[in-house]
Amino acid sequence: MSKDSLTVKGLSRQFGSVLALDNFNINVAKGELVALLGPSGCGKTTALRIIAGLEKSNTGSVTLNGKVITDEAAHTRNMGMVFQAYSLFPHLSVAENVAFGLKMRKVAKKKRDKKVGSILELVGLGNHHKRFAHQLSGGQQQRVALARALVIEPEVLLLDEPLSALDAQVRTNLREEIRRLQLSLGTTTLFVTHDQEEAMAISDRVGVMSNGRLEQIDTPDVLYNTPATAFVANFVGVMNHIPGVRSGKSVSIFGDSYKVRNLDGGDGHVVALIRPEQLDVEEAKKHGNARVVTRSFLGASSRIICELTDGTIVQSLKPSSESGGLHPGEMVNLSINTKEVLIANA
Amino acid sequence: MASAMKKNFAANLVLIVTGIFIFFPLYAATEFSLRNGAEHTHGFAAYRWIFAQSGFIENLGITLRVTSLAVVLNLLIMVPTVTWLHLSGQRYKRLVEILTILPLIFPVVALATGAQLAMPDFMQNSVYELSFFYVVIAMPYTYRALDIGLSGHPLSTITNAARNLGASWLKTLSSVVIPTIRPSILAALFLMVALSLGEFTLAQLLHWSTFPVWVTNVSQQNVIGATALAIGSLFFAWILLFGFSFLGSKNSTTVQEEE
Repeated sequence: MSKDSLTVKGLSRQFGSVLALDNFNINVAKGELVALLGPSGCGKTTALRIIAGLEKSNTGSVTLNGKVITDEAAHTRNMGMVFQAYSLFPHLSVAENVAFGLKMRKVAKKKRDKKVGSILELVGLGNHHKRFAHQLSGGQQQRVALARALVIEPEVLLLDEPLSALDAQVRTNLREEIRRLQLSLGTTTLFVTHDQEEAMAISDRVGVMSNGRLEQIDTPDVLYNTPATAFVANFVGVMNHIPGVRSGKSVSIFGDSYKVRNLDGGDGHVVALIRPEQLDVEEAKKHGNARVVTRSFLGASSRIICELTDGTIVQSLKPSSESGGLHPGEMVNLSINTKEVLIANA
Repeated sequence: MASAMKKNFAANLVLIVTGIFIFFPLYAATEFSLRNGAEHTHGFAAYRWIFAQSGFIENLGITLRVTSLAVVLNLLIMVPTVTWLHLSGQRYKRLVEILTILPLIFPVVALATGAQLAMPDFMQNSVYELSFFYVVIAMPYTYRALDIGLSGHPLSTITNAARNLGASWLKTLSSVVIPTIRPSILAALFLMVALSLGEFTLAQLLHWSTFPVWVTNVSQQNVIGATALAIGSLFFAWILLFGFSFLGSKNSTTVQEEE
């Protein structure tokens, strides 16, 4: 990755009494695909719309390849965008839709036709030139929208939950296609989604947003394994909340002591945030600290749902070969196979 | 099976009764307009009589010019206004809906006397003042035709897409919004044309000689000719309707979905 293509500094946006975006900062390197992930209403689409010029910010700046474009009109920024809702122009054919942006840029017809033909081939719709939006399925419409956004060779491609209206199978296929195209064309891309699997699967980095702020931005591995905040830990992947008692820099869980990673807050009762694969389950020889509720066979691994003595339900992910002897109702010993844990208020 | 046949019979009966209700008077009027005076023969004498009357071409020309201006004014005012209401003026939509109903509430006499006084002198002395009044009278219908058309499309998304692809607001309106709602614009246009072609009260009150005023005057001399005029006007309106429907139905074919 080379230097930053898109730099956003201190963006804030208030709608009435609601602060939709609060001091939002992000840098996207040339050719990088960054996802903005967060629950509904966290401000990710507002951020994208401000970057696209479709919304004004109260404060902050947007810089594209070294040029400040904060006050530029949407139609003069060279950005491609794919929207959540189907956005093809219903009166134009597929080819005319894709050619629209080139026409606005006064590209000669011959060159235009050539570019439209090759981008439609690239998205697998080479023989759909003459069709209209209502003659295409949802997945095909989003492919055309993607081709229309890419054909103008945008400096940044903005994707605003383009897969959320599609069914699961089409969504999985199309997200792989987006990544393939993005890598082959080297387009700098900012991708907004509320689907963590989608974000983690195709992004170079993922930014997790909450209440208008960027909580953490990092690679999917770092986000999953070392989340910076309790919100990120809970939002990304499955997380167990296991009761413990904190004392200074350590926390006691199941009678063992673990180092606390996030040191804000005081001593006393807390919950430790533990991933299912960080939770070991062993058959109890005498008295265990939990009881097996169910065991679900998932193939190579199995999910074991357990109930702690205080009634807390937790889950562990174990290789199926090691968990065959665990049966519902059986007492087990749970332990944590990591030295550092993230804690949150009980 | 029996229930389906009963349903079909009821539907056909409604269709036949409605057909008789609409077409029998038309048939009777057409038959009457083709009578040759007191003789019991049929022909086109009444239609020939229309063209022989002085002022036919002049008055039809005035009405068509006034109508054309009204159509242009109506589209120039209503299309951007309704588009803006859908994009960012949602909170004013209720108010505008109420305002557009006002022409149905106030009598035309009030419009003719009150509104005319508000017009500048050069407008008061021109027959084209009628175009402005026609825009107001047609507003309840044209507003709703355009409103329905715009409601059927994700307007915000497609305008955002157009702007993102490099189209200015003006280009977005002309290249995306207007073609997208073309059937609704054509419906509004038809309503405007039908209303303008048949408007009599305002023109008469303001002492302008338009085609409907001329029709009323000449009709008093010849009852069969008057019926022929009515039938002729109706067919003219139908031809326009079919023309607009044809233009509006372009590109509306569908094929099976595939993935």
